[in-house]
Amino acid sequence: MHALRSPISRLAALAGLALALTAGQARAQIAIGDAVPMKDVKMLGVDGKSVTLASVAGKKGTLVVFTCDHCPWAKMWQTRVTEIGNAAGKAGIGMVAINANDPTDYPEDGMDGMKQRAKDLKIKFPYVVDATSDVARSFGATRTPEAFLFDADGKLVYHGTIDDSPKDASAVKDAYLKDAVNAVSTGKTVTTAETKSMGCSIKYRAKSTS
Amino acid sequence: MRAAARARYSLAMARPALPRLAVLAPAALLVLLAGCGHAPGSGASGKAAATPDTLPLEPVTAEQIHQRVREPGARATLVNVWASWCGPCREEFPSIVSLAERDRARGLRVLFVSADFEEQAPETRAFLASHHTPGPWLVKTGKDQEFIDGLDQRWSGALPVTIVYDPAGKPVQFWEGGADSARFAAAVEPLLTSQP
Repeated sequence: MHALRSPISRLAALAGLALALTAGQARAQIAIGDAVPMKDVKMLGVDGKSVTLASVAGKKGTLVVFTCDHCPWAKMWQTRVTEIGNAAGKAGIGMVAINANDPTDYPEDGMDGMKQRAKDLKIKFPYVVDATSDVARSFGATRTPEAFLFDADGKLVYHGTIDDSPKDASAVKDAYLKDAVNAVSTGKTVTTAETKSMGCSIKYRAKSTS
Repeated sequence: MRAAARARYSLAMARPALPRLAVLAPAALLVLLAGCGHAPGSGASGKAAATPDTLPLEPVTAEQIHQRVREPGARATLVNVWASWCGPCREEFPSIVSLAERDRARGLRVLFVSADFEEQAPETRAFLASHHTPGPWLVKTGKDQEFIDGLDQRWSGALPVTIVYDPAGKPVQFWEGGADSARFAAAVEPLLTSQP
């Protein structure tokens, strides 16, 4: 038993040393005031057209929401995200929903599922695939849903969740994203710039070598 | 002779028949009772019978988790926040349960904290029971942001999240997303082998 445990312990200790160099860090995220990253990467949408973050930008700002189709949290907020996104477009803020998940383990997150969801929800903004997950990586996005709102100058002014009541839209007290969109579209300062909520971790594709 | 042989044969056949009947009778009774709805939790697979409907879930705030982490008696405390609907959480869960069993005597304390909603309590209980998870059976309570930042400012809210604390309650390892058994073992081993 001791003879067995000892090498295991030594291996584990070595692995622990390696781990100490890599763990303890959350994924680096863009910060308030940062510019839109990877804005010229083409992403294929459910309508068969490709867009870039630069091409979807509105005159007053850009709203980027990382989402997917299998996650219960994304599903709980999907109607509200659609309403906010559809309204944002009318208010001069370009909206794009990005699915960065690897559909290998979650077939619902494939293009067929996305098309169905876009149709069911009557989404009026691009719903696209981040085919390498590199756009999500460049944002430091970690979960679905996760929102990033940029102002007319392309600077990040809001990052976080949708609101404070994922499972009950009628119980929302703080409509963080909606308020932030309204502020940006009317030229006001976003009062709550960063929020958090739980969500499904983004299932990143294997890191690209490019 | 022929009659004697027949008698021996009859006796030989009768002997095993008695124990068979003894086994079959209660089984038939159980089936009958289950059909009548008198055997709660006893399913045909037998797995459902291991799901205690009364497994006590304990709501906890982030501060209450920190209090448990600081309680004496452990060389390392691993906190894992999971949800029954979360794929990576379900995948890594057995590894953590195995590690908890293996290293409990060496001073490892594991605190699983479910992020399921209140109405998902049956799923939470079923999952915990199916993995023979030792208690306490903790469930996150309160608003997300307060809980997330209260537990660890580095946490974005993505599930699962794992934090390993030293005996003083200082976090020494933190990561979001799923991990394998080697990573969990490596995260706690330095604390378990360190001098008290």
